[in-house]
Order: sequence, then structure tokens, then C-alpha cells
Amino acid sequence: MYPAQVGYYKPESLGEALDFLEKHESKIIAGGQSLIPMLKLRILNPKYLVDIGDLKELSFIREGDVISIGATTRHSELVSKRLPGAEIIQETASKVGDVQVRNMGTVGGSVSNADPSADYPAMFSALEATMVIRSKAGTREVNALDFFKGPFNTALGQSDILEQVKVKPLRGYKQVYRKIVRRAGDFALVGLALVLKANAGVVEDVRIAFTGVSDKPYRAIKAEEALRGSKLDSSSISKASEIAVEGVNPPSDSRGSSMYRKEVMKRLLRNTLEEMKDAS
Amino acid sequence: MSYSGKSVKRLYDDKFVTGRSTYVDDIKTNALYAGFVRSNMAHGKIKAINVDDAMKMNGVVAVFTGNELNQIIKGGIGPWTTYIDPRPWKIPLWRFAQGETKYNGEPVAMVIASDKYTAEDAVKAINVEIEPLDAVIGMDEAKQDKVLVHKELGTNFGFVGDFNAGDADKALSSADRKVEVEIANNRLIPSPMEPRGIISQYDGVNLTIWYSTQIPHFARSEFSRIFGLPESRIRVVMPDVGGGFGSKAHIIPEELAVIAASMRLGKAVRWTATRTEEMMATNSRHNVFKGEIGFKNDGTLVAIKGTLDVELGAYLTYTEGLQPTIIPPMIPGPYRVRDLAIKSRAIYTNTIPITMYRGASRPEATFIIERIISTVADELGMDDVEVRLRNLVREDQMPYTNPFGLKYDTGDYPTLLKEGVRVMEYQKMKEWAAEERKKGKKVGVGLAYYLEICGFGPYEFSETRVTDDGSVIVSIGGTPHGQGTETAIAQLVADELQIPIERIKITWGDSEAVPAGTGTYGSRTLAIAGSAAISSSRQVLEKMKRVAARSMKADVEEIDYKNGEFVHKKDGRKMTWNEVAKEAYSGREPGLSASVMLEGDVTFPYGVHMAVVEVDDYGIARVKEYRAYDDIGRVINPALAEGQVHGGGTQAVGQALYELAIINENGQLAVTYADYYVPTAVEAPKFKSYFAEKYHPSAYLTKSKGVGEASLIVGPAAIVRALEDATGKRFNKTPVTPEDILK
Amino acid sequence: MLAEPGQRVKIKVKVNGVEYEEEVEPRKLLVDFLRENLNLTGTKIGCDTTTCGACTVLVNGKSVKSCTMLAVQANNKEVVTIEGLSTDSRLSVVQQAFKDNFALQCGFCTAGMIVQAHYILKEKKPLSEEEVRDLIHGNICRCTGYQNIVNAIMDASRRMGA
Repeated sequence: MYPAQVGYYKPESLGEALDFLEKHESKIIAGGQSLIPMLKLRILNPKYLVDIGDLKELSFIREGDVISIGATTRHSELVSKRLPGAEIIQETASKVGDVQVRNMGTVGGSVSNADPSADYPAMFSALEATMVIRSKAGTREVNALDFFKGPFNTALGQSDILEQVKVKPLRGYKQVYRKIVRRAGDFALVGLALVLKANAGVVEDVRIAFTGVSDKPYRAIKAEEALRGSKLDSSSISKASEIAVEGVNPPSDSRGSSMYRKEVMKRLLRNTLEEMKDAS
Repeated sequence: MSYSGKSVKRLYDDKFVTGRSTYVDDIKTNALYAGFVRSNMAHGKIKAINVDDAMKMNGVVAVFTGNELNQIIKGGIGPWTTYIDPRPWKIPLWRFAQGETKYNGEPVAMVIASDKYTAEDAVKAINVEIEPLDAVIGMDEAKQDKVLVHKELGTNFGFVGDFNAGDADKALSSADRKVEVEIANNRLIPSPMEPRGIISQYDGVNLTIWYSTQIPHFARSEFSRIFGLPESRIRVVMPDVGGGFGSKAHIIPEELAVIAASMRLGKAVRWTATRTEEMMATNSRHNVFKGEIGFKNDGTLVAIKGTLDVELGAYLTYTEGLQPTIIPPMIPGPYRVRDLAIKSRAIYTNTIPITMYRGASRPEATFIIERIISTVADELGMDDVEVRLRNLVREDQMPYTNPFGLKYDTGDYPTLLKEGVRVMEYQKMKEWAAEERKKGKKVGVGLAYYLEICGFGPYEFSETRVTDDGSVIVSIGGTPHGQGTETAIAQLVADELQIPIERIKITWGDSEAVPAGTGTYGSRTLAIAGSAAISSSRQVLEKMKRVAARSMKADVEEIDYKNGEFVHKKDGRKMTWNEVAKEAYSGREPGLSASVMLEGDVTFPYGVHMAVVEVDDYGIARVKEYRAYDDIGRVINPALAEGQVHGGGTQAVGQALYELAIINENGQLAVTYADYYVPTAVEAPKFKSYFAEKYHPSAYLTKSKGVGEASLIVGPAAIVRALEDATGKRFNKTPVTPEDILK
Repeated sequence: MLAEPGQRVKIKVKVNGVEYEEEVEPRKLLVDFLRENLNLTGTKIGCDTTTCGACTVLVNGKSVKSCTMLAVQANNKEVVTIEGLSTDSRLSVVQQAFKDNFALQCGFCTAGMIVQAHYILKEKKPLSEEEVRDLIHGNICRCTGYQNIVNAIMDASRRMGA
């Protein structure tokens, strides 16, 4: 459980990091909370680590018409920051791992790692966040829905760095992140990011994203469509919850079987929508 | 001055809270590091081990396989013959894998390198070719004896024994009601927080071993047998040990390999297991009882008949032989049932070998009998307390010889149940839970009763030395490793010698500093090692009286001792404790020490525990509260005893709800804490622990019985019962998973 | 800073108030650096997967798991380990509270647990029992059942005037 030999490069700037990445077979390390366990298990064996963990230019939280979160922002910084219109970010951050992991781990690291049971991918999918990617060639933006491609697989290329995540505040939306775990601190058995806007009891907009149930964040688009424009009541909630699990085939592992996960998804969505209904 | 009965603070906490503790891995010595290449097959023929790439690496000293190691490892790992009669057993030779591998994860080659990083590099560079052989992973398949784990044994059954008492068939046929039962505990991983570790140093004549163990003296004698060295040339030192729970009373091939390598190379060699390796080093439990019970309409249990299957894994470990022979005679527990027929079988599979774990056999027996008693209650619609009162051995029957010949020493089981129910507010909590359920919450309350056998002999050693400055060193054969028993024993000795506790040092765990010993396991230490310490201290005090008498030119009968002073009864002349101690080392006396080998026999604590659980809409259960009411004999240090209830109770939560060693169809274990759910502070309940005010003493000098395992013995049954209350469903196995609850 | 695979790099780390300059392989975990290079063996290794928290130390004042941090990541930073919490053998409030409340048994998780307790009590905010449990769930104890650990942290919190 010790990493294999590896080279190490610590750039002084993002530019230096991008230069190095283009020339060398490397893996980016920021907080290392996902990467180091994989190095220890020797699942990953890069030639170099490029340590961007202390790059000040990637550590920021900017508010405004667009909320921007720098890639090396620690989870703990988001835990202590309420972002109007994106309150779900704080709630999600507070449920990542444990205190120590949150002190070290970064938003960018979690997002780039794209663990199919991680918390942020579902949450950013629900927010339809934009991932800002930097490379030597320039900057490009990818929507969260296109960013997550599969287990531990994203739109990031070998010499790309995730620079920031941009989110449009959803004011007037109810926002919750619910995470079901067998034991505190674990990855989600099922996680649900739900943002919903209702007017006089009628759903104007809703986005439903699950984690832990597929090889990437799962947006329950059909359930969203079913809810949109309908009155938020027990019947519509029940229907949406049934629809949400159609066509998804969750994995079976130590946390639970596929069937069980589906049942949890259904109940989680139903309960969360019921709470929203009661709260409005 | 009296220390006993008080929650005296633990004597040696400073080093732990300041980071000055010394576990094996903290010892600084000039040693090479071992690493192990492991089998990735459950059963296979080792065709080739290609070591060339590894040997070329910087810092790699040697690579050994069974071919070299087994020249030095002469004897195999065998059962603990102090407690296990090997004669009815079929036992395979268990050394370092040679020719064949019998379980996934078994070490098949060993690397010796300059540091642990390099050792792992070399491990990864070694290519082992293993040709698969038919393997048998599940116990049911193994029982068919089609695929054999050990061909030479001719069967997968390591042990088959009949435990018959009375006439179970007759009792069943005349019972009012009969019900079939199936009760199981799945495989667990004990998980002490300190992974096991060892350093071995051989100087050409003497072998010194620093070892994370619960049993340094037994380990010395096993190493002596296995390596063919006299015990006088082996020293086993137990430094601070970070938990054991039975798993560190067990020797594994990796450890033998470390010793063998140190002997072969003439250099010190060390190995500390990673968590992954620790999880592979010790698995535990896994037993299934299937049978039939008979009872009367008034709730009296009259017969138990069935088969108990206990999994062994690929080899017979030092301790697993206990289970199939101790579980059956403990199945009657505190109840009067006398007609039982239990076939007990132990079965080899191509999986990680299984060892004892906290409670060893008594949790299994208790889970079986408590499930049976609760089944009777459910079948008859009786209350859990009432059905137990109907069946418990009465006080007028004590001492009671159970149908298998175990003699329950002291106790009043029904009174404890009634008191416990009152003190723990069981009925009130049941009513509260029923009200909450009406409001739609899934909460439940359950209780279970246990009778434990503990205080195992055959003996324990103690030596009390008074030094020339009057301080006292007590060397005990017990080996506390977290329980705090050393503090309780110091309390007993301070009271016996009537001196301040600060003057007493308790020492243990070094096979040369302590001439003999058995160790700490089975809730025995305070009763047997504590009594031995009282006895050796009493003897040293007698010697001091003789020294005082000679010094005062008096007869020893004329000397009284009280509170640190030796007083001449007639003329009132006095010598202080320190003066007598100094005199004993003046050259005129032989010094002051006395040692005893105190024989002891088992004793039976008992109690009732209660759990409050809450289940959410996803089937995730949490134990909110855990309450315990125990008669553990005289309580020497209540806070330490409570600590055992808390710790065992949280392990019970783990066993009942979360912990499951998952082995896949290839016999491969899931080996990280990402898959094995040791409870955190969030899953742990709030505890209330009570001890019976009117206790029933053991025959030991301490009058104490034992508490180390109580909560893990009875907790799983109490928690499962509470889950049943919460959900209205029936569960007969551990762990009960969220899926079981939702089903 | 660049090191080729197999090369060592020089790092400067302040640990418990003392400056150290050491050469390490980039792959070396902080916990091994502390234990092996600096002989600070109070910090323990209990698991491989960032789960158990026995290796918890403070880096620039924040609690982290030193088994999931490379020594090179601590370059130019300040680390406090269990050995740095008591000055001149005088126990810290938390250390004393652990003793007084029987909050340890085998002692192996204790260093990490105490460092984490120091961290969560830093702001001297009153904490409920539930909050304490939530804040220490990254530290596993197998012996105590946590009750006395929670009691000790609540006790320390009171003694610190929260």
C-alpha cells in the first residue's frame, strides 16, 4: 500500500503546468484524496505527478451572475460558504467524505476523478454547471452533462486541466442534496441532487440527478418532464418516482444490489419531493 | 485505604495521549522489511515463481518461497492444545505454501528488502504462475466432499462430534409444539486498529521476537516447537498492542516466514501488515445452526435438536478448533432445557482461515439460544421477559450443572432479569416504541439474555517484587492490551499491601521478564491474573513480616502489619514498609519476591442487554441506544468495566447490522474499509451500563467474573430482536442488511 | 520543482515548531516521512484507504490524513502531530480530558482522535453530542464504542470555555 516510484513537478503557474502536461505523461494532483489511494493501490502508475494543489490562481470562489469555483478550492471552503442561488453546493460539500478529507480534497479533483458514486458530479449535473477546461490550445467550456463520460472518465484530455466550474444561480429554486450511505463517510449508495422551482404548487422547472446508480451521474430526464408543468402532489410525485428508475441499471456491490438501489432511488426521490411539497 | 470498587484512572495513559506509545511498528531497529506475494487463486498448483526481475532491484536482499522457508519452519501451525483436544480432528500440515496454494490471498513468496516501499516494488515484480485446481468456496458445497481442500484428509470435515444430553427425540415427540429453526452468523473481520506486526532477530544462538500478540508465552512455546529451538533461547516481547479481540492469539504463515528469514539471513527482519493484509490475516465467525425445537404451550423449551456447521477456511488455526466444541455445550445457556442433540461439524473450504473473535463460541451459542427463545415467544404470542422467566435456571438450582456437565457457579438469573428490565426501563421503552410506530416511525426495542463461561484456566502466573526502596513491581502472566486490567490489578494489589497505588508498577508481556503466563483472552484476566497478583502479594507481605520479625528479634507471629507499618504486638516497636524493604536487601536477607502459579476454573457471569433501533425508509438501521445490566461478580473498577460494555456493544452493532466479510466466487475477500463497515461514532449507540448491585461472586480471590466479551456475546441478539420489533419482520442471521429489512 | 522518477527532492517542513530539511522520494507518504525520517512515531497507520484517521495531523492548522498526503505536498508547510500538542510534558486540555474520561483503550486510534479533537475544538464553539459524532466520523476506534471519546471531547470543550 505504498505508491510506486513517480516523478514530481510543481509548477509556479497554470501556464507552466500546461506546458509540462503537454510534454510528459503525467497525472495532476491537487488535494490527492482520490489520487493517492489509487497510487497506493497501484491502480495508477503515472510517470509524473503535477502538483497544482497550491496554485493560488485556481483557488477562488467568485459570486455574481455566474458563480465560479476554482478547481483547487477545498471542500471545506465550500462547506463554510453559502452561495445564494446555489445553496446545494454547500450542502453537497458538507457530505463529502469526512472532515479531514474535506480539508484536503478539492472540487476539481473530485469532479475530474468522476467516481460514479461521488457527490459533486450529480450535483453539478443538476445545476447544469459549466466545466472550464484549460489546455495549451486554449480554453473550452463543457456542460456538466457532457463532461462526465463514464466511470473515472471525463471530457478532460491528457494535457487538460480543469480550471473552474461555473454555475448559474438558480434563485427561487428549492435545492437539496440527499445521500444514502451504509456508514458515515462512505461513498453514496444512492445520492440525489434535486433542484425545483414551483409556482402556486405547479412545477415550473425541475432537475433530478442521481449518483451511485450508473456509470456516470444519472439525470432522470423523463421524470423531470413528467413533473414539469404538473401540480406537485402525491400522485405526480409517485408517478415521477416510478419513471425515474425506468431504464436505469444500477450496479450491485457491497453497498447493495441493483434491485435494492432502484428501490432506494424511487423512495429517495419520492420522499424528497414530498418534503418539498410540504415545505411549500 | 481502598481502591477496589472505584473508577481509578488508568495508570499508563500518558504515553498514549502524547504519542509516546510503542507498538511493534514504532520500534526503531536495524531490520530488513518483508513483503509477501499472494495467491490470486483459491486453489492451485504453484508452477513457477519468477523472481529475476525482483532480485535485480536496488535494495532487494532476497526472495524466498516455501521451498527455502519450510526447511526452517519444521512444524506446522496447529491447534491450541491447552484447550483443544486434537485427537478427533483431521488437521492438514500448515506451513508456508509449497507446491499448492489453498486460498486466495495466501502468501506464496516472500521478499526481503531494505525498506517497505522497495519490498512492495519487488512484490509487484514477481510473477507467480499458478495452475488452477478445483476449489470449494461455500460451506454447503464443501459438505458434499466432491472437491477436497486437502486431498490427504479424504474429506472436508475437520471435525464431527455429537453433543447429546437427555433424549431429544423423545422430548421433541412429546412437546406441544415443534418449530424448525435456521440461525446463522456470517463471516466477520475482527479488525483491531493496530494491524499485526512482528520483528524477528536471530543472533546465531538466541531468537528475539517483538510481536503484536495476546499470548507471548504460548507464542514462545509454539515457535519452539515449530523451529525446533529450546524455549530458553527464544524471547517473545509484546510491546503496546493495539487491540486484539482474539485475533492476535493466532499465528500466521507470514509471521513464521519472518522468523525463518531472520534465522536464514542472520539479520533482523520486520513486517507490519497493511490493513489489507490484516483483513486477510484474520477472519472469524461463520456458523450455521439448523434444527428443530420443541416447547410446551406454557413456553417451556423442552428440546433442541440440530446440526451446527462451523467454517474453518483452508486450515485449522490455533484457535478455531474451540468453536465446534464450545458452542454446543453452551447452547442451553441460562435455561433449563435438558434434552439436546447437537451434531457439530467443522468444515474446510478454500478460503482465508478462520479464528476466534471476541466472545469466541459464546456469541454464537448465545445468538442461537436467544433466537430460539424469541422464536418460542413469537410462536406462542408470549412476552420476551415472561418466556425467559419461564425457562431460566432458578436460584434454588444453583450451582447448576447443565446437561453437558458445565457447572454454573453462582447467580440468580430470574432476579437479574426482573431487575434489569426495571433498571433499563424496558417496558417503558417498549411502550414508547409502540407509540412512535403508530406515528409512522420504525423504531423498536429488544432485549436478550446471556450466560457466559469465562475465567478460563488452567493457571496464571504472578510475581510480586518489593524493591529495596519499597516500591512494588508485579509481573503478571495476563497481557492487557487496552482493557486497562493493569490498573484494576494495581488497585487489588494496593489494597492487599495497604500502600498507595502510585508505588505499584504492573508489568507484563515479556517472556523473559515474566517467567510464565497464559495471556489475556476470554474475559479471564482480572479474575485469574488479578487473583494470582493478590496471592503473590500476600506471600511477599508474609516474607516482609518475617524480615521485620528477624530485624526486631521477634517471632513472626508477634508482628502485625497495617497501612505500611510492621508493629510488634506487645511492645509496640515499629518498622516502616520502606525500612523492611531496605533491610531485605541489606545482604542479610534474600530480597523480597514471591511468585505463584494460580490454578483457576471457569466462572459464569450473566446479564440482560437491551437495544433501541430506528430504521429509515431505505432499510438503513441505526442502534440509537444500548443498555446493559450485568452481574459480573465483584466490580473492581466500574469505569473500566463500562468501557468493555461500550466497546463490545459497538462491535455488536457492527456484527448485527454492518460488518460482513465478502468473499467472491473466486474466494477473493473484499479487503478495504470501503467495503467492510466498521462502525464510526455516527453508527455507535449511546450507552447506559449498569452492574447488579447484589453481585454473585466467582470462586476467585477477586470475587470477579469477567466482562470483556459480554456485549458482543449478547448484543447481536438484542439488536436483531429490536429490529424485529421495529419492522415486524423475522431475522435469523447477522448481519441484517438494509435489503433484508426492505424485502 | 522537478524530480525525475526515482529521484529525491529536498523539502522543507516545519513540524511541531522545528524546521526540517530532508530529501524524500516524491512517492513517500507524509505519515511515513513523519515516522521514519523524523522518528515521530506517535502518528499511526491504521488503514490503506483514508478511512480510519489514525494518521490525522494538522497541516497549516487543518486536520488531514497523513496517509493520504505526500511528504512533498507538505513542502513549505507547517505540520503539528500528536507530539506537538503537549508542551514540556504538560498535557493539553484535550489530552487530559481523554485521560479523565476513559476515552482510550488500546491507544492506537488515540493520537489521530486527539489531533482531530483539537481541530474541531479550535473555534471554541459549543458543540452538541451529535455534532461531535459527525465531526469525528473520519476516525475509527474499535475499542471504546466512542461514548467516552465523545464525553471527553464535550468535556474538553467545556473546559476550554466553549
